[in-house]
Amino acid sequence: MLRREEWLDLCRKLDWDYSYVAERDVFPEAVSGHPWLPHEQWKAWDEPFRTSYAEYVTSQHAKDDSVYAVRDAVGRTEHFQRLAPEWRSSLKLHGATLPLAEFAAVVGNLRAARFGRDSAWRTTATFGALDELRHTQIPLLIFHELVRSDPQFDWTHKFYHTNNWIAVAARHLFDEILLTANPIEFAIATNFVFETGFTNLQFVGLAAMANVVGDHMFEKMITSIQTDEARHAQIGPSVLKIVMEHDPEYAQYLSEKWFWRSWLLISIVTGFSMDYLTPLSRRRYSFKEFIEEWVLEQYVAGLEEIGLRKPWYWDTLLQEMDLYHHMVYASAYTYRATAWFDFVVPGPEERHWLRAKYPQHWDEIDAIWEQISSRWEESDPGAEWSVHGATPVGFCALCQLVLCNGTPSHNSAVVVSQNGRKHILCSEPCAWIFRREAERYAEHQDIVHRILAGAAPANVLELTRKYFGLTRETWGRDACGGRYPWLQRIKRLERVG
Amino acid sequence: MSASADSSGNLVPIYGFLSGDSLGLVVLVHENDAVEIVGRRLQQAANVRVASARHFEVHHGGRVLDLRRTVAEAGIAPLDRVDVVRKDE
Repeated sequence: MLRREEWLDLCRKLDWDYSYVAERDVFPEAVSGHPWLPHEQWKAWDEPFRTSYAEYVTSQHAKDDSVYAVRDAVGRTEHFQRLAPEWRSSLKLHGATLPLAEFAAVVGNLRAARFGRDSAWRTTATFGALDELRHTQIPLLIFHELVRSDPQFDWTHKFYHTNNWIAVAARHLFDEILLTANPIEFAIATNFVFETGFTNLQFVGLAAMANVVGDHMFEKMITSIQTDEARHAQIGPSVLKIVMEHDPEYAQYLSEKWFWRSWLLISIVTGFSMDYLTPLSRRRYSFKEFIEEWVLEQYVAGLEEIGLRKPWYWDTLLQEMDLYHHMVYASAYTYRATAWFDFVVPGPEERHWLRAKYPQHWDEIDAIWEQISSRWEESDPGAEWSVHGATPVGFCALCQLVLCNGTPSHNSAVVVSQNGRKHILCSEPCAWIFRREAERYAEHQDIVHRILAGAAPANVLELTRKYFGLTRETWGRDACGGRYPWLQRIKRLERVG
Repeated sequence: MSASADSSGNLVPIYGFLSGDSLGLVVLVHENDAVEIVGRRLQQAANVRVASARHFEVHHGGRVLDLRRTVAEAGIAPLDRVDVVRKDE
């Protein structure tokens, strides 16, 4: 009987010469990606896991069994209802943004399974596609159970099918990075930057957080997904090393572009969860500490190993870690009806903790919470719209996210003119990407342009209901209805009572 | 004498940034509105996050604008960036 190492490459690395068609026709550059190189240049492509299909199926079956066992034990509605309300919001945020993005990643992997330039790459991408299908199905299954008790969970499936502003931004990112990218850009953008740089480690941090808050279902799901990510993310460095030999500036550009774009979305989803939606008593570290230790250190080491430079906007990024997710969260709180999950106002103890974790800029953010708290003190409990924005907000022409970059004293948005049309960009890195690929991005209609063109209502309530697809049952509220014991208004009422 | 809103003339949507605020807003003004109206309208729109100030400056294209001039006279065009800087801080 053949030993494993004697047959393995026959099933995962099997390339051949074409006799009646040119290699360029089998792998057109438009679909396979740049730089186009003959297979001779790719034939040494390899990755460390070297899994066979039989091994893959056996291992995935065991992982699924394990997830379903945990679901049977602690993944039911009654278990979910015992979790803190703010953590439930974090689940809704992840539940909506994760599964169908993973489904888009199935498509990106399948494109690589056909047009990747080496058979071992194509084999690994096939497993990657199967992984991502699993990452779609598991959260859809787990969160679907919860729709009966909480209609906001309907957004787990609904989110990407809406024109909600966060969905528009997430689609703008994922359509490009997952659905339409050629296999080389997909490998660098998704496998190397997004997965190796962010989600692989982010999932480790999220699982640890879920453990501490007692959400063992989410912990198990994320841990199981992470083990798949760790494997198929290895496509990234293997492709990147070969691209670096032939077009290092292109590799540098893609790594800088996609790190910035990934950062913005991750800092919202994970930043909200770590610094606001995890109960204070359960927080072990801040989002900034997590990013510094788990993401930046590892990512920079990965860049250096391959010969890439740190992104040119590194100093901007470091400042953003102190501010961006705080500015977005405070802004989103005051437009919470436009989201499908509930928000909380950080109370005095939370603000004290945030000040200790973000000493350099917290004063500026704290002033905003002071004003929001004052507005609640002047309003009746439950009077959500008294503490809510009514004016349309601006969106970046590249990332499609709200204009929350820079500092409260100096927002970093810039207006760029392109063929007689003005576009606003949230930051210099977004403006830099936009200018580099204006033909790709300039025609996209952000929500403000849709409003001005009459395609979406300008009235925020109408926009929320008719365009973002939210209803009274599903739109975001203050999780406490503004009934915070530390508010002066509540103390006054208690004295009167 | 404070300026009043003039609803004649074309509507001008602008990107407004109030000092101390966490995000940029889209504010609609008329081209015949005084620049002071732009400042007041943006402060009103952002009041849920930033307390309004009696005294403020309006900045556009690197210049501090005369609050008594109209939007059109000040050269504010649709989708320009306009900054309102509170002076009561």
